[in-house]
Amino acid sequence: MKNKFLTFVLLISLTALPSIFPDNESRYEQWSKSLLCPVCQGETVFDSPSEYADDMGAILLEQINNGLTDDEIYNFWVSRYGERIITNPINRNLEILLIPLLIISVFIFMFVRKLYAKK
Amino acid sequence: MISSIGIVFSWISFSLLVILFFNKKKYYTEILVRINLFIQIFLFCLLEVGLFLNDFSVSYIANYSAKSTPPLYKFASLWGSLDGSILLWNLCLSLFMYLYLKLYKNTSSDLDIKIFSLIMIFFVGYTVFSSSPFAGCIELAAIGCSNSTILPFQELVTSSIGRGPNPLLQNHPLMAIHPPMLYVGYVGMTMPFVAATGRLYSKQGRSNDWVEVAEKTTYIPWLFLTIGITLGAAWSYEVLGWGGYWAWDPVENVSFIPWLLATAFLHSAKIQKSQNTLLNWNYILVGLMFLSTIFGTFITRSGVLISVHAFSNGNIGTYLLFGMLLFSLIFIVIGSKNIDYFSKSKKIDNWFGKSGFFVYNNIFLFSAALVVFIGTIFPLIYETLYDRQITIGRSYYDVIVGPLLLILLGLMIFSIKLPIKNLNFKKWTDENNNLINSSLILSVFILLYLNNSYVLVVTVAISVLLIVLTFKNFYKNFRGQKTNISYWTGQIAHLGIAIFSLGIILNVSQSYSTEKEINSFEEFSFNNQTYFVYDSIEESLPEKNVIKLPISNQSTTKFTSLNIFKNSSQQAISSPAVFRTFLNDIYITVKFIDENSYKLIVRNNYGIFIMWIGLFISSISFLPRLKKYEK
Repeated sequence: MKNKFLTFVLLISLTALPSIFPDNESRYEQWSKSLLCPVCQGETVFDSPSEYADDMGAILLEQINNGLTDDEIYNFWVSRYGERIITNPINRNLEILLIPLLIISVFIFMFVRKLYAKK
Repeated sequence: MISSIGIVFSWISFSLLVILFFNKKKYYTEILVRINLFIQIFLFCLLEVGLFLNDFSVSYIANYSAKSTPPLYKFASLWGSLDGSILLWNLCLSLFMYLYLKLYKNTSSDLDIKIFSLIMIFFVGYTVFSSSPFAGCIELAAIGCSNSTILPFQELVTSSIGRGPNPLLQNHPLMAIHPPMLYVGYVGMTMPFVAATGRLYSKQGRSNDWVEVAEKTTYIPWLFLTIGITLGAAWSYEVLGWGGYWAWDPVENVSFIPWLLATAFLHSAKIQKSQNTLLNWNYILVGLMFLSTIFGTFITRSGVLISVHAFSNGNIGTYLLFGMLLFSLIFIVIGSKNIDYFSKSKKIDNWFGKSGFFVYNNIFLFSAALVVFIGTIFPLIYETLYDRQITIGRSYYDVIVGPLLLILLGLMIFSIKLPIKNLNFKKWTDENNNLINSSLILSVFILLYLNNSYVLVVTVAISVLLIVLTFKNFYKNFRGQKTNISYWTGQIAHLGIAIFSLGIILNVSQSYSTEKEINSFEEFSFNNQTYFVYDSIEESLPEKNVIKLPISNQSTTKFTSLNIFKNSSQQAISSPAVFRTFLNDIYITVKFIDENSYKLIVRNNYGIFIMWIGLFISSISFLPRLKKYEK
């Protein structure tokens, strides 16, 4: 019984941890991780060591320091490079998330139904 | 000369395979398979000889090798581009055909080898009819060759220096290992496909022996695919200075899909053998494993996607699509002939027993493969349907694949001891209560030092619990029960994955980076450590110029460098200086501003070494299984 109580306390403290020691990712980091460097073969601005990514990062930093909203930053980059510059399109195109989830659900449903023994 | 010999022998190989396909006598089959292997080895060596002799009348050599290319990379140039890599592909195929025949001579039907030879005819046919690595050069470009012929004995022209391989490919010796490993993994998936289709056709599913052979023949490709993917990750992280080891790049994805499917199959084959269930599902998995490797080649080689690894070339896309269609057709026809056999597949009674858990494993592994597949082709679909160019980046995979893999990690905890009948969860928690508590305490301690998020907390807790329970299991049972190789290798593989998960979640959640502008002979501090920057050193090698910047902390000096390749329009490649400890890497790449001022990108990458350890354990866990081939 004592042990169970301990387990319970430990689980509670684990769930509390993220709020006590939160992970602070800066806005710049978030944005540079979701911008593709167009000349770098699939790397983001955050990852790429190239000059080009460097320049993009500098512009991005300036935008964030000037307090531009996410929409403004989004429009700035998309109007210049097209939609493919954004590597996390799921925020604005929910179907990219929903379609695979739907397909998996259908798959799991059919798979389990096929194997379920009728009593 | 080399061009003509190569083309002629490709033709001979092609004709022999056609004869092999129609041949009915077992005696001749063995001879033909051997001769074919011999010719493929000969062709491989011939192109290598051409590469070392700088025979630039061969178009491939003129375009992908150069006089100044160092020997190791000359050797590796053979698979540095499309046509040559198909040659290596064919060599692997003929090796596996030989191996398959040797191992299963007594039990395999004619049809196994017929399907094998058909697959080989398909790939050798590409080098004969479409684009040969031995094609002779008939028109020169400024550097290299611009037009070539696939006919032998033509008037050929010779380029003077050769264009040299892609800079990315001549930066590190790993290049010589990573692609062949992957090829062996890819090509090896042909064996289970042949075993399943050939055996099911000839025996009309009177026995489960096909799944046994298919399972055993998956060991080799699984092992090599795992090693190949790991080496690719290591190469991009340790050598290319990309900072990352996995980018969800389309080509990385298409190597991950067969891996996920093969892993699923290795589990579900076990259940078919012991419970006689999932018969049809296993057949589907084996087929998809094979088709996904061709799909992978299609994605990489057809130029439909932009990626680090893609090198497109003419018409191979259509050719591979045709192949996929042909092999799918064979697969479906043979499958449909066995409907009666498949309908004997048992249903699952105990959803919380052994078979139930193995089914969950398959559900989640297959779902992950499905999601990765959808993510890979999404950009293609969007472009064709809506004329929109989108990029599916990490966030997509983090959101969908992440949880699936986390569930799989959780399932491994129960794999340690699974009863046939339903698991009693209350009893299970009671029995393991002390260990659960100690691993939770351990997790809390680990997490106290970290920046937390829910994903991190859950992953750490599950991995630690899995590691603790697995160790206890080793300690208690390893000597006790009669050693069951496949059980224990599986447990070691799971342990490796738990360690890997800890590493990767630390890396993803804890790493950070900063930029420093600095001059020669100055120092900077990062993560409580001081680093001193020396002056840069320039080196000129025949094939490239290297600018090195030595950086030292108190104890060691490492170099970060920029490699600028001659004869290449590609970007310069930077290599990182990595100061490694068990927990974290200080990973420094450089941008040169002018003579003696630099901009350093300094990253603190957590967990990398732990990840490598985990992957290493998982990879080698499979070695003891290969011994099983002997019987």
